[in-house]
Amino acid sequence: MSKSSSKLSLDKKHNITGWIFLTPAALLIFCMSFIPMIQAFLLSFKMGKGNALKPAEPIFANYSRMFADTVFTQSIKNTFFYLIIQVPIMLILALILASILNNRQLRFKGLFRTMIFLPCATSLVAYAIIFRTLFANDGIVNLVLVNLGILNSPYSFLTHATSAKVIIIIGLLWRWTGYNMVFYLSGLQNIEYSIYEAAKIDGASPVQTFFRITVPLLKPTILLTAIMSTNGTLQLFDESVNLTDGGPANASITMSHYIYNMSFKYVPTFGYAAAMSFLILILVAILAFIQMKVGDKRD
Amino acid sequence: MKKKLLSLLMAGAMTATMFAGCGGSDGSDASADKADDAAADKADDAAADDAAADDSADKADAAADDSASAGGQKLTVWCWDPAFNIFSMNEAAKIYQKDHPDVEVEVIETPWEDVQTKLTTAATSGALDTLPDILLMQDNAFQKNVITFPDAFTDLTSSGIDFSQFAQGKTAYSVIDGKNYGVPFDNGAVVACYRTDILEQAGLTIDDFTDITWDQYIENGKKVLDATGKPLISMQAGECDLIMMMMQSAGSSLFNEDGTANITDNETLKVVMETYKELKESGVLIEVNSWDEYVSSLTTETVAGTINGCWIMASIKTSEDQSGKWGLTNMPSLVGVDGATNFSNNGGSSWAVTSNCQNTDLAYDFLKSTFAGSTELYDNIISCGALATYAPAGDSEAYAAPDEFFGGDAVSKKIVEFSTKVPSNITGVYYYEARDAVATAITNVINGGDIDAELKTAADTVNSQMQ
Repeated sequence: MSKSSSKLSLDKKHNITGWIFLTPAALLIFCMSFIPMIQAFLLSFKMGKGNALKPAEPIFANYSRMFADTVFTQSIKNTFFYLIIQVPIMLILALILASILNNRQLRFKGLFRTMIFLPCATSLVAYAIIFRTLFANDGIVNLVLVNLGILNSPYSFLTHATSAKVIIIIGLLWRWTGYNMVFYLSGLQNIEYSIYEAAKIDGASPVQTFFRITVPLLKPTILLTAIMSTNGTLQLFDESVNLTDGGPANASITMSHYIYNMSFKYVPTFGYAAAMSFLILILVAILAFIQMKVGDKRD
Repeated sequence: MKKKLLSLLMAGAMTATMFAGCGGSDGSDASADKADDAAADKADDAAADDAAADDSADKADAAADDSASAGGQKLTVWCWDPAFNIFSMNEAAKIYQKDHPDVEVEVIETPWEDVQTKLTTAATSGALDTLPDILLMQDNAFQKNVITFPDAFTDLTSSGIDFSQFAQGKTAYSVIDGKNYGVPFDNGAVVACYRTDILEQAGLTIDDFTDITWDQYIENGKKVLDATGKPLISMQAGECDLIMMMMQSAGSSLFNEDGTANITDNETLKVVMETYKELKESGVLIEVNSWDEYVSSLTTETVAGTINGCWIMASIKTSEDQSGKWGLTNMPSLVGVDGATNFSNNGGSSWAVTSNCQNTDLAYDFLKSTFAGSTELYDNIISCGALATYAPAGDSEAYAAPDEFFGGDAVSKKIVEFSTKVPSNITGVYYYEARDAVATAITNVINGGDIDAELKTAADTVNSQMQ
């Protein structure tokens, strides 16, 4: 017994140990995540309501149906609106906050860091409802604006298409900026401080240091956060459901919200819902691929 | 070495258990529960055929009891409001237990959204044995669920329950293909509540709002607005409760009998949209963002009244300092529409018996002698605001009692009377689809859209979602 095991080289032994540790998690992910994904993919080629599912005719019927569905195309537009406006603003803000907090001279760093990160600890539903209350007709935002004389009468933020979208974006910024900042902070820890000192000695301004040192060295982290935020925004759900309920007139509905409606609020159309989910997957994959190509230029 | 061996064993054990788990879910329709059951009874089931394996242990027990027609006297019920329908169900159980002491009713608190999700999941995965014996269903979702999942419900037509005792407009929600699938529970008859003290400032009384049309309503509303600066009514933006109430008050629906959408050339709907637009533009109606805001507009005197299902009275009554300042009457009727009345319905729910119920005779008898046969029950639950749609209950003394909150009016009796006059409509399978599409249309119309064009878009949306 001991003889046969000693025959294995040290390398092989390490490999086996690694695989043994990997197996449980890999199997779990396979059973819980990949099998349902394959089933959902098969489901997306079926048509019908509730249990009365039959193979789609033609086979891509659910996929072609999406583009004729005005509500779904509206939801794609809305989601991309959030993506294009919110993700860059959030990442830039997070980067700026992170480099401010990385300053060694700054006092009460821990306090500021906690305060900026704290919104991440709130539940998505809870903060969405609080934002809804803040921007209500008799909410605090209207109260302040009217009392300051900026508005004559309360403005109904959530019943106007543009302001409803803007409020979702503000909500997202509040909720997620701190989260991304923490990634940047940890990325900044890995940048040797002496580089900054050297830059200072060479007479680089803080702005130059930021663009010439911080941003290039943080590139892998920026790429990571960009992909994660894109992914998260494409799957946006809680804010649309709880803050605006997709309104007014579907002006703020997201793709996931519409998929949910199609599966549970309306007469269940799981085949179509699964097809829409796969469109999100494809979009995420394409965007991530583009970002990797753009971000991974090795100079 | 020993440690290594141990860790290897543990890792092995973990993988093995997971494989077992996966094996269970491989079967196309087997639920997690069944997999567990199967694992537990592996020895017994090994030789048994598929059908036997499919039955959960519970089911088998119940079936055995049923054949012996003794024991198993237990009904499980899903409903959602502890102060309202759960309370009522427990009261019903008490009444039934007087004659049947060995019957047990177990109520499981399940919010409506969860009932819907669980039902959808159970029916689509084939795990109907996860359903209770009886569940409470929103009237608006009844058609959709019974037609989509016909296997999940039991036909009550020949159960011995006398459905003719209920308001016809109410029973219609749970009738599919001429078969009764639900026992009506709470009343959603529409009431119009007004702050009589605010109306007085404009020189109006509650009588000026009784049996009126929407034109008169808007005229009165302008008077109130001029005199007090308060709108008459508030509504949640993006929801079309009022639209649906107006539609039903004229017996009109968003669907035809054959299930096709009745939106584009629906003259009643056009009148309704125009009326709603006028209400909004005249300032008589204000839109709020959420349900909480809607309720607070009533309790904080932002508006002088409201029109909604009679269950809204429970929310109005939360502000006790306003006692005696409220009056109640019927809603305005549409102008220029055939069959327009002053009565409508919004909300309400009915009891359904699921196909998982093993002891259906018990469930039928229970419903027959409580919700469909006991005026005593309805007298007991009137305290929580559950008003009957069961006609004989309206004759009882408890319903004739004056309500001080509403200026000493016998409001309960009035509402039961309203409910018998509600025209029935067709909710259809695609009620929620149509409702959302029409809500989108009305939002666009208020923002300057053309009614015909918006209704066309709404119809297209619904037709595409009906695929």
